[in-house]
Amino acid sequence: MSEDEKQTHLTYMREALAMAELALQTSETPVGCIIQHPTHGTIGRGMNATNRTRNGTMHAEFIAINQILAPPSQYTPDILKECTLYVTVEPCIMCASLLRQFGIKKVFFGASNEKFGGTGGVLDVHLGNGRGIGGKEGDYEVSGGWLREEAIVMLRRFYVQENERAPEPRKKAERVLKLEVEPLGELSGNGVD
Amino acid sequence: MTSATFHGPSNSTTSNGIVAQLAGTLIPLKTTLETSKDVKLLNVFITAVPLKKASGTLSLIRQLIPRDGGYDLQHLRRFAKPDLIPSAIRNSYFASSAESSDTELIFLIVAVASIIPKDILLDSLQKDRVEGPVVLVEGQIPFNAPTSAEQAKAWTNEYWPTVYKKSNPFGPHPAIVARAQAEIEGNAGKWLSLAWTVAAEAKTARTGEGVGVVIVERSEQGERCLAVAGDARWDNWPRDCGGNGNVTAHAAMRAIAMVTAKLPNAIPVTETDIFRSQPLFSLETDVEEPVNKDGYLCHELEIYCTHEPCVMCAMAIVHSRFGKIVFEKRMDEGGITADLNDKNDGLGHGLWWRRELNWTMLGWEFRRKGDGNDGNECRLPWDVDNGLNA
Repeated sequence: MSEDEKQTHLTYMREALAMAELALQTSETPVGCIIQHPTHGTIGRGMNATNRTRNGTMHAEFIAINQILAPPSQYTPDILKECTLYVTVEPCIMCASLLRQFGIKKVFFGASNEKFGGTGGVLDVHLGNGRGIGGKEGDYEVSGGWLREEAIVMLRRFYVQENERAPEPRKKAERVLKLEVEPLGELSGNGVD
Repeated sequence: MTSATFHGPSNSTTSNGIVAQLAGTLIPLKTTLETSKDVKLLNVFITAVPLKKASGTLSLIRQLIPRDGGYDLQHLRRFAKPDLIPSAIRNSYFASSAESSDTELIFLIVAVASIIPKDILLDSLQKDRVEGPVVLVEGQIPFNAPTSAEQAKAWTNEYWPTVYKKSNPFGPHPAIVARAQAEIEGNAGKWLSLAWTVAAEAKTARTGEGVGVVIVERSEQGERCLAVAGDARWDNWPRDCGGNGNVTAHAAMRAIAMVTAKLPNAIPVTETDIFRSQPLFSLETDVEEPVNKDGYLCHELEIYCTHEPCVMCAMAIVHSRFGKIVFEKRMDEGGITADLNDKNDGLGHGLWWRRELNWTMLGWEFRRKGDGNDGNECRLPWDVDNGLNA
């Protein structure tokens, strides 16, 4: 990958981070994404909306796809087959499947998600729906580690805030925001190449 | 795992030819860990002692290696009569032993091989020995407790006498599963029948595929249906661009959206959206009103699905913190089951109960009475293809 290409991806990832920042300001889990089309540019933006909607499925990817396709829309659903998603945290298993079924072309993400990740963290939904063999219809390319530290610090800023909508608010007053992010271990992979 | 059969009344049928209460059996789902073919084994030293020396030898071992070095061997018999252990271990022992055949012997697990060198163990045991050299043979034992009586029996034959204690290190405790199953089996066939009815409606109205979902809340007051949803992937959606339709309008996604929209302070995403959380069919409006005022997501609710939900819907169900899932038809692209289907084309993700995830639930497959073993017959003209993401 050339330096120019790398800078382009980083620019788009900063746009996704801006969405995460917006989520943080509205007490949502700070995960943000943008959907980029090669000629139309950024056609969709999303941030986590699970607190606002009280619906645990309203992740940033759903919001961005909704923005593109909700009526009145200038696009038909097959536009997603030409699009690249930039998202601050690895898509969860649910979103990885959503993207697969809509036929996304490529995914760039920041931090890995070992608890729910659907593109390497827990399952490889982007490869044969998690069968572990690629080359199937719906497979997409994935590249992780883009602005990973920024994405992680964003999540930590959220977790030191109180989530007053959770059933029993936990005291987070003693929690301290840690800004240093451990370097990526060699085994975890997903680094920017 | 046990499964109970129940027979609901099958004389009343709806206009779609669906019985109002399906008769069938609930089969508890298996977890990814339970279906894994790999048995984790430990190497151990085994010996035999005269019966009357048994407790003395065990005391000596406990002094030498307190608490078995931290290994939990509760699922294994410590002592076993010669005829109860695999012949390979028995033969290997007698090949090196000078024991006279008229001494009554008992075999025992001495220690996990990795925690003590063999020569030290031999020396220590020899001091307690009245006659002849001590013989230690190496064997293998299962590291984890068995999850069924059948597994215990198989391990007893292959490795060492193993005891099934109705515990499950790889999934929900069998007693919890049995209790929950007793709760739901009275009406599971009724809720599934309702799900099939809305599935038929979705298909005949051409708004979606023949897939349906029902969400039920259980409390001391009984069961209440909070949402009924049919698939709506083709509702106001172009069929000519070769896609899979509106992926966000699968029946499970719609049902979850319907329930959470009624929670206090829920704000919709946008004024117009693609999520199809409004009722489209008459059956979908015929549900009980508001959910528990302190409701959080779909916490501990029950979801009944005509088809095994796809990976997206399966994970959506986990994110929504359902307590129980029941489905009827297994799907090739389904995300719930851990064991592969009969054609060996399932995914095996087992999302209903996985250690990595922050939420687990209880799950059953509904096997309709009178079906073949696979439960996958396309019994209705509008039923969907097995390869569909349901």
